[in-house]
Amino acid sequence: MIESLVSVDEPGVIESSCLLRGSEVLSSTFPADKRNHETVGRKAFSYIFTYVSKLRSKHDEAHLEIGDKRLSGFVIQPDMVLICLSDKSCSVVKVRNHVNEVRMNLQSEA
Amino acid sequence: MTDYKILFTGSVCSGKTTAIRSLSAIETVDTDANVSDSAIRRKQKTTIAMDYGVLELSENSRLHLYGTPGQERFKFMWQLITSDLAHDAEAMVLLVDNTRNDPFKDIRFYVEEFRDYLVRRRLIIAVTHSDQRANPNFDYYMNELKRMGLFTTVFFIDARDPAAVLTVIKEVMGSRDKSIDWPALTEHLVASKQLLAAALGEPEEVEEAPEVSLLDAAMNLRGITGAMHLDAERKELSSNVSSMQSKALLKSMVNMVSALESKIAFMGSIDSLVLCGPEQETLSIFLEKEQALGLCSDKGLSLTVIRDQAADLLQWSEK
Repeated sequence: MIESLVSVDEPGVIESSCLLRGSEVLSSTFPADKRNHETVGRKAFSYIFTYVSKLRSKHDEAHLEIGDKRLSGFVIQPDMVLICLSDKSCSVVKVRNHVNEVRMNLQSEA
Repeated sequence: MTDYKILFTGSVCSGKTTAIRSLSAIETVDTDANVSDSAIRRKQKTTIAMDYGVLELSENSRLHLYGTPGQERFKFMWQLITSDLAHDAEAMVLLVDNTRNDPFKDIRFYVEEFRDYLVRRRLIIAVTHSDQRANPNFDYYMNELKRMGLFTTVFFIDARDPAAVLTVIKEVMGSRDKSIDWPALTEHLVASKQLLAAALGEPEEVEEAPEVSLLDAAMNLRGITGAMHLDAERKELSSNVSSMQSKALLKSMVNMVSALESKIAFMGSIDSLVLCGPEQETLSIFLEKEQALGLCSDKGLSLTVIRDQAADLLQWSEK
């Protein structure tokens, strides 16, 4: 699984990523100095997507901007969320397109 | 005859068109159209292409005055004006509306946007609307600009007053063209404007922009389907979000952000949270220290457009 996540990370687009099932981290490339971002992403996106599914809504993507960073959460499967850390200056479209490219790989390995 | 040029820029309602009208010896060329964005809270007409006027400095020199549109969506005109019409301007005058919630945000924005243009010319900051809001005052501007690394000249002017706007021009042109008789020019300009005013009779009552609430202004924006205004405590002040599901989701987003804000302050401030999906309307929360704005928008609307619109709405809202 970690190999798939390494392919998610892309210089200039996605710095680090992690995969969640529920609120449990399955795999992560977040370095030690970015552990706080991982924790915030895990808590925020598991909360928000749990609420989304409770309301039977189909929102599957969220972006949280903190300081000069952006945490993006993508629902890969109904109970699986990919969290990506990028620079706020990097366009959301770029992050989204890159995640769409690797989405199939992640789904097949899940 | 020597021709000089000066470029005026700044946010919507900062007084660019008015400043050029105050100085111009000719009937100014302006390209006003009805406002169709968040600026509707301030005025009904806005410049969409450019303003142009001419000031006769002396018998041998004249100054061409160019003004950009304020809205970022007319950025293509900024590029056209800076690369062509006013590529050889002596200076850029950045007009700053002192009634904006954060005038320095505008300064940072325009200095960044015109960074390349400013490499080879002088920047002057002219603060307007200080009669409506006196603070930040001159000293605050000087200190804050110094902190931002901007060592520039700041004037507080009334864009309607030709003599006041002329002080800005003098600052730029005074050392450039020594032949200009400034006291005579000021006297001539003020007299000709008074003559013009007398000839035209009593000025028509300026049509005040009707009171437009933040929510109504949001609904005036393309693609926005609902809005929610929140205070510093993230409590709802007003809302017109009609969908129960969207309202519930927006509220849960607000709750989550409120819970996180104080705990993760050391990581930086939370600026926004956006929730989107291929079949759903996009829900966003934009946060400032004193207030926050929730928006529901069409799923096709780009996040950059939503963010820009939200920033503009929050710039003029009552906190």
